[in-house]
Amino acid sequence: MIDIRQKLEEIGAFEPHADDGLLVCRCEEVTKGEIRKAVHEGIFTIEEMRRYLRNGMGLCQGQTCGRLVKSIMAAELKETPDYVEPASARAPMRPIEMEILGKDQGGAYE
Amino acid sequence: MDIRRYDMIVIGAGPAGLSAAIEAAKHGVKPIVFDENARPGGQLFKQIHKFFGSKEHKAKIRGFKIGEELLAEAEKFGVEVVLNATVVGLYPDKEVTVKIGDEIQHFKGDSILVATGASENMVNFKGWTLPGVIGAGAAQTMMNLHHILPGKKVLMLGSGNVGLVVSFQLMQAGCEVVALCDAAPRIGGYGVHAAKVARCGVPFYLSHTIIEAEGDEYVTGVTIGEVGPDWKIIPGTKKHFDVDTICLAVGLSPMSQLLDQAGCRMKDTRGGFVPECDAEGQTSVPGIYAAGDVSGIEEASSAMIEGRISGITIAEYLGFAENEEKESRINELEVQLDTLRQGMFAPANRGKKIEKTEEGIAISENLLVKGFVSDEEIGRFPGVTKQRKIHPVMECTQNIPCNPCQDACKRGCISIGSNITSLPVVDKEHECIGCGLCVASCSGQAIFLVEEDVEPGYGEVTMPYEFMPLPVVGEKGIACGRDGRAVCDCEVTKVRTSPAFDHTNLLTIKVPNDMLMKARFYRAKKEAAYD
Amino acid sequence: MNKTADVIIIGGGIVGCATAYYLAKSGTKQVIVLEASKSIGHGGSCRNGGGVRQSGRDVRELPYAMYGIQHLWPTLSEELGVDVEYTQKGNLRLGKTQAHLEKLQKLADNAKAVGLGVEMVDAKEVQEICPYLSKDIIGASWCPTDGHANPLTTTLGYYKRSLEMGVSYYTDAKVAMLKKVRGKVHQVILTDGTVFEGEHIVLCAGYESRAIARTVGVDLPMTKLIDEMFVTEMQPHMFDIMLGTASADFYGHQAHHGSFVFGSECGYEEVTDMEDPSKLYTNAMTLSASCRAVMDYVPCLKGAKVVRSWCGWLDNAFDGVPFIGDCKDAEGLTVACGFTGHGFGTAPAVGLMLSQIVHGEKTVVDISALAPNRFKPNK
Repeated sequence: MIDIRQKLEEIGAFEPHADDGLLVCRCEEVTKGEIRKAVHEGIFTIEEMRRYLRNGMGLCQGQTCGRLVKSIMAAELKETPDYVEPASARAPMRPIEMEILGKDQGGAYE
Repeated sequence: MDIRRYDMIVIGAGPAGLSAAIEAAKHGVKPIVFDENARPGGQLFKQIHKFFGSKEHKAKIRGFKIGEELLAEAEKFGVEVVLNATVVGLYPDKEVTVKIGDEIQHFKGDSILVATGASENMVNFKGWTLPGVIGAGAAQTMMNLHHILPGKKVLMLGSGNVGLVVSFQLMQAGCEVVALCDAAPRIGGYGVHAAKVARCGVPFYLSHTIIEAEGDEYVTGVTIGEVGPDWKIIPGTKKHFDVDTICLAVGLSPMSQLLDQAGCRMKDTRGGFVPECDAEGQTSVPGIYAAGDVSGIEEASSAMIEGRISGITIAEYLGFAENEEKESRINELEVQLDTLRQGMFAPANRGKKIEKTEEGIAISENLLVKGFVSDEEIGRFPGVTKQRKIHPVMECTQNIPCNPCQDACKRGCISIGSNITSLPVVDKEHECIGCGLCVASCSGQAIFLVEEDVEPGYGEVTMPYEFMPLPVVGEKGIACGRDGRAVCDCEVTKVRTSPAFDHTNLLTIKVPNDMLMKARFYRAKKEAAYD
Repeated sequence: MNKTADVIIIGGGIVGCATAYYLAKSGTKQVIVLEASKSIGHGGSCRNGGGVRQSGRDVRELPYAMYGIQHLWPTLSEELGVDVEYTQKGNLRLGKTQAHLEKLQKLADNAKAVGLGVEMVDAKEVQEICPYLSKDIIGASWCPTDGHANPLTTTLGYYKRSLEMGVSYYTDAKVAMLKKVRGKVHQVILTDGTVFEGEHIVLCAGYESRAIARTVGVDLPMTKLIDEMFVTEMQPHMFDIMLGTASADFYGHQAHHGSFVFGSECGYEEVTDMEDPSKLYTNAMTLSASCRAVMDYVPCLKGAKVVRSWCGWLDNAFDGVPFIGDCKDAEGLTVACGFTGHGFGTAPAVGLMLSQIVHGEKTVVDISALAPNRFKPNK
């Protein structure tokens, strides 16, 4: 069980850093500062962070930024990286055109 | 809906995937292998260097050759490989959807092997998104598969084997590697790989990290700085280099998404997000297996063995092999795998600071920080002996599982013994005939032939040489030491090429006798002198 | 760690977070929200298609659906300090056959009868409203006051804001049972044994509410079924309207981001059987079927690349509308669940009304038709 309020008190207030402008998620252009700030707003999991800021929602689905976001969040939470669970993986494994997906011999599409 | 069923579906036609399919096919299983690339072989085809290990590990064979052999074997056993086939989804009931051409095809497997390998990690620093910042693996693909030069002046970040090997290959391709940098205090890869790079004159900056990549539209320069124990940059340590390319070799992460999607229990490790597997690669979902880098980053040699282990396991699971057969084959394979996992760089030793070799010799600190064994340290090692007549000088100073040099010498001059991580020993009693086979057979390019008094006051050093254009006999140039700095002028006396050497040319230079234990690399005079 | 509160909310989805927010806003000092998973909004709240609509609803839902759109959604971004991307540009429900049009006409008439503006439009008008649609569409129903929003930022926005206002949140806090103390539902006991105590318990945990309510003898008749969605990569801006079809082939819209979000079904949803429902597996058929459904009506998207698909469980109430209100036979317990796949748009209004119910006030609109104990046998 995680007491969000207590954790927020433990980690203290958000302090701006010189490298807050650094891009972390290239696909969706999410910066380090945005991620760090979001942690202080109560966003503790990658699942939540992804939905809040869109990191990991771009074309590479987090393949590039996943590790980086994980370690930034864990550092902000004053924990080791394994405190933050990786995001789930779903089909399709690569971006695929709708018309190709639609051709699988199922249904009535011609 | 047309769903085709196969005994075994393999996802990824790299070393692990193909090896597994071949092993299973040998027992009558009919596997199908899907790969999203236009060519099979995974990372093997861009590995132009000679592999380490022992004969059964395909030591001294170049990666792409191993790839060719694997493909031939796959064809021989009728393994169906479908290229340009992207697996789009893997479902818990072992159904697979694959994009082939402009449609999706459905397949069901009685067993599935996921061998999708890994992808490169990134690090953040100011300017990391500028064109010119690329993964070392990506640079390797560009150069070695597509024959495109990634850039002209490169800074390499990362001193693991990938960083070291790719740095060398960048130079072979014609790039200038201005520096190799790593935030760690010691080089993470093999000393012999580092030595190859250092003697070309590439400076190593350990305990340094990239502060900023400069440039408006693309990389034009980079600044690095030394990090203190608190990971903060130490004031006054900034160094700037004009580069157009920054290669990142900061580790790989398994591409295990399909396994996660299929419901396999996963574990979050320092080496990435991997499936929980038993020793045979069986995941928590019965019938779904994982092999190779996707189950934990190692190297191609271990991926192939893991593939074979999974292959025989799957054959038995499907009823194509008996349990005894499986057990004995696995025992055989596990011995091979175990051998690879020995020595200084064994997984068990990760993170430990090894101070002495198995023989009790102090490891060269200079090698670990600067990339070369110093003149004072080199004499410690059993491969380095003082002889006047021609003899091999083996600058192999760390325990790694590798022994092709032993078999290369037909005269018994070199011995390693049954423990293949042992340092090679040069036996003075045996007569070296200077054939040079040992020099060419060493995947680490760590063997030299040295002969004193070829003419009064001068001796010869024969070195492995894999750069184009080859020097010509009679050419005058500069001999460089292990640190890449000029030690003296020299003359090229022999240039030998032979099919038996497999593209490792033997370059012999004449130097004063007192330079014989220093001169280890050659530069033509017309190149800018290093210092 | 505080385990006692004025109100304990079970379920960290949008209804739970919105309720927490409106309670905090109206002065309730101690509010605790318990979420079973590790993430706020893990369930349907962050998996749905973002529709904020009045049309196509059961008449019992219309009053509060309209209330939310008129009074809450327009200023929500400002209020929460998060861009909820509320877009009120209308909802076209498309038809390709006469039978479709008849169905849509009936829905439009029903809507008009209760004061909601829904018109039928012909093929030409459909193209005028949205020139990206298939020329095979012969007509549609058009509700100009419907729209869509971003369920991810809305849910997390309510969470963030209520956290700022002093609400306590516990994640990875799975509720095992409720317990009455002196005849009133007062204790919430987690699977790890931790006991929370509240004057008032609000249960809004989707399908999981059923098992929890059962521990104090309250039955919420609903089943669960799975639904899938997918999202494309960013596209150039095309349209802001919400789309649906008469035969429920698909629904969806283009998000502010530029990507298209669509949901559809392949017919397998009611027989989907997962060994472990928490795994949320998509199946191998629905994504392809969904693409076909969308391309049938929006053919220009055939080259759009899908980057991800996902699924979520629907808490399917027996009569298709949620259970909202006090439990008459379990004093102290208020429920809000069974939203049957269309709860997102009404969540702000539901959250507000739940806060009113807790305070003992009259709700902004009458929701007695949604009483939790309304099930009656058919004979």
